[in-house]
Amino acid sequence: MTKPAISFLRSTKCRFFASLGLTILIVMGWARAQDKPVVLRGGKVLTVTHGVIDNGAIVMDAGKITAVGDAGTIHIPGGARVIDVTGMTIYPGLIDSETQLGLTEISAEEMTNDLVELSDEIMPHMHTAEAFHAESALIPVARRNGITNAVIAPESGDTLPGQDSFIQLAGANATEMLLIRDNAMPLNFTGDQRRNKAGFEKRKFPSTRMGLAAQLRQAFLDAQDYELKWSDYERRKADAALNKDKDKKPEPLAPKRDLKSEALLPYLEGKKMIVLAAESPSDLQTAVSLANEFKLKFVLNHISHSQPVLDYVAGLKVPVIVGPIYEAPKEDERYDTVYSLPARLYKRGVKIVFASYSAHNVRNLPDQAGFATAFGLPYDEALKAITINAAEIWGVADQLGSLDVGKTANVVVANGDPLDVKTDVKQVFIAGREVPMSDRQVRLRDEYSK
Amino acid sequence: MLYCVWLAIVLASAPALGQSEGTARHDILIKNAIVMTVTHGKITNGSIYIKDGKIAAIGETVNAPAGANVIDAGGKYLTPGIVDSHSHIALDDDVNEATNPITPHMMMKDAFDYQDKAIYRALAGGVTTSLLLHGSANMIGGQAVVIKHKYGAARDEMLFPNAPRSIKFASGENPKRVYGSRDQLPSTRMGNFAVQREALIQAQDYMREWDNYNEKAKRGDKDATPPKHDLKLEALADVLRGKIMVQIHIYRADEMLTEIAMAKEFGYKIRAFHHALEAYKVADQLAANNIAIATFSDWWGFKQEAWDAIPWNATMSMRKGVRVAIKSDSEDYNRRLNQEAAKTMRYGDATEEEALKMITLNPAWIVGVDDRVGSIDVGKDADLVIWEGYPLSSYGVPEKVLIDGDVYFDRSLPGLGTTHYKEGE
Repeated sequence: MTKPAISFLRSTKCRFFASLGLTILIVMGWARAQDKPVVLRGGKVLTVTHGVIDNGAIVMDAGKITAVGDAGTIHIPGGARVIDVTGMTIYPGLIDSETQLGLTEISAEEMTNDLVELSDEIMPHMHTAEAFHAESALIPVARRNGITNAVIAPESGDTLPGQDSFIQLAGANATEMLLIRDNAMPLNFTGDQRRNKAGFEKRKFPSTRMGLAAQLRQAFLDAQDYELKWSDYERRKADAALNKDKDKKPEPLAPKRDLKSEALLPYLEGKKMIVLAAESPSDLQTAVSLANEFKLKFVLNHISHSQPVLDYVAGLKVPVIVGPIYEAPKEDERYDTVYSLPARLYKRGVKIVFASYSAHNVRNLPDQAGFATAFGLPYDEALKAITINAAEIWGVADQLGSLDVGKTANVVVANGDPLDVKTDVKQVFIAGREVPMSDRQVRLRDEYSK
Repeated sequence: MLYCVWLAIVLASAPALGQSEGTARHDILIKNAIVMTVTHGKITNGSIYIKDGKIAAIGETVNAPAGANVIDAGGKYLTPGIVDSHSHIALDDDVNEATNPITPHMMMKDAFDYQDKAIYRALAGGVTTSLLLHGSANMIGGQAVVIKHKYGAARDEMLFPNAPRSIKFASGENPKRVYGSRDQLPSTRMGNFAVQREALIQAQDYMREWDNYNEKAKRGDKDATPPKHDLKLEALADVLRGKIMVQIHIYRADEMLTEIAMAKEFGYKIRAFHHALEAYKVADQLAANNIAIATFSDWWGFKQEAWDAIPWNATMSMRKGVRVAIKSDSEDYNRRLNQEAAKTMRYGDATEEEALKMITLNPAWIVGVDDRVGSIDVGKDADLVIWEGYPLSSYGVPEKVLIDGDVYFDRSLPGLGTTHYKEGE
């Protein structure tokens, strides 16, 4: 027997090809269809990384941004299609850092849901990529509103519910849309993972946070043991091969494969990102010490009720997926306790991103960023939190998150401020290609407007 | 209304009068505001004089007594308080008496938890009036209570005085799921409507019995014995008598048509369809029957009957002549209904005034209190919001919220920002 998953990830060569594969996917997949250069000229260009160009222009060619600059001076390549976007605002495609797109269709209809496998709390071998439904009617709705990339995460009912995927919201099929499979893994420690809902007589382990922590620790220890067992086996196998002729020992037996442990190894090796979810200060600190015990590389998620320990959070020097800021404050808290959390984190130097934590309401992601500015978050930071910051956290900042030459041409044209609820997106480009500005809802609107 | 005109004249001519009345409540002059009246446009450098909790004068300049408390709005926006025409806050867990599909005798007032912090959080979002409805488990649920968000006031002060009665009807998936899961009637939409029709027929019989008795008694018939009082049928009889406004939880267009037919069959009027996510498919029929809708701005897909929801529902229905309200049905969304209303400017190009009307005057009509709240007009209750930022945007946040001329929320204050509720009391 072999264990391809581990060997593959161990190999530096393979890691290189894996990241190369990602590049190729972004450029090749959807970009095949951009047949000639497109120039958007005359709008207000929000580059995110190098300011605002009031009368700007952007050139997209072969799926990439090839020029960004002033409308008057930009070079227009031969054969380009020039679109006048005077009066419009141009900004990079938005990135939603946690969604359930493709894992659900109609929330109340169980057969349309592949959100989380609740049969066990430790399910790191679940891959959202394997449930992702590329033809979901929800995806065009989000895309038409300027969200071009998203992290697909399982729902948070389990401590380790499985692995995320990073998608582009356009492509011929799931393979094209799944830019990175298993890009990260949620570790949920919000208390909701306790199996204590059914009353004392029906409780099962783990029904307390002690139970959750112990179970989690055991899972990581098991994975470490598993790793040792395999390296020992491989050493003995190599020895046996070397000494084949000397001692006639039988070939060592391969250990039994364990998908759960295998899934945890890249995280234990610090190669991939854990998304550590907690709400309260005590849960947060327990989860962080557990993560540190196993030297996990992590970003924080939610921390909606950790206001008393924001300096501690800042000291961790990790980014935070914050909120949603619509999370209700605790009973004795001021109404804007959670609304103001992004601003308070930002002031402490924490890199923040927003997520819709939704499937149907992904399109409203920018509203949250806008609302956070009403509670002290600087505008530019709010925009970064749904573009470049997200791209950085998810390791794709060389390709996404801003309007810079060389990046994938994910570009949004809207009739105004991207963070305002009133703003209507007029055209979305993904890898330089005009996305059809239609979805199920538009079709219904048009059908009943006749 | 005559009284209001008189008041305005008196105040204009005798500014000192306001003070000399010696009421506990101070008169207030709000000046330097962009006043969005909802009914008569915008006054860019406007003032409002509040007397005894009512709006007494509006204009670029108003005469107010020297002793009036002055609130300088600093050029900020001033709107009417938001009216939420579909809410289940402040009812603890007592939203649904889901033990029988017909429970018209449930009074939400009996469940009203006036200390619920959700009232405060909505207040901080600019909501001043809410219609607290029974849930949608039952085909005919209970009777609503209308509250003002005077957080920190006594329970009875929070009840909207003399608000008309409303009753909650439901339809579709919720009743059939609740009772169907218990192997009871109704478990289908046929069952839903049969249960409703049966109840209304019983109410007709009950009314007839009482009419007969009353007639006999009037004739002096000594043998006439009064029928038994039945709370349930009494409530339904009041529906048939037109004394209670009917608010129907409904999603699908076909069910709306059935409900309209049923209302005609029994001779009552439907005040509003709530949720009404498919109203855009039958908007002309709704307009013809003067049925309003209280809808979400863009919720969809959470259940099968919400699958055809589109964010243009509000504006498409409005353009067909339907009175449209955007409501919360949520203790999350009732904190930012202004943003929800602003979405109608995006989806279907509602004007600023049309959008604002969907969270003020139109829901006030649905609740039946549009003569008292929902716009900035002389004589109406001084339920007002001063906004930081433009209210119909992601950025508008209430700075001060007044109810009946009294400041109940002030963002600049430390702690909760409440003026009447004191923490720890």
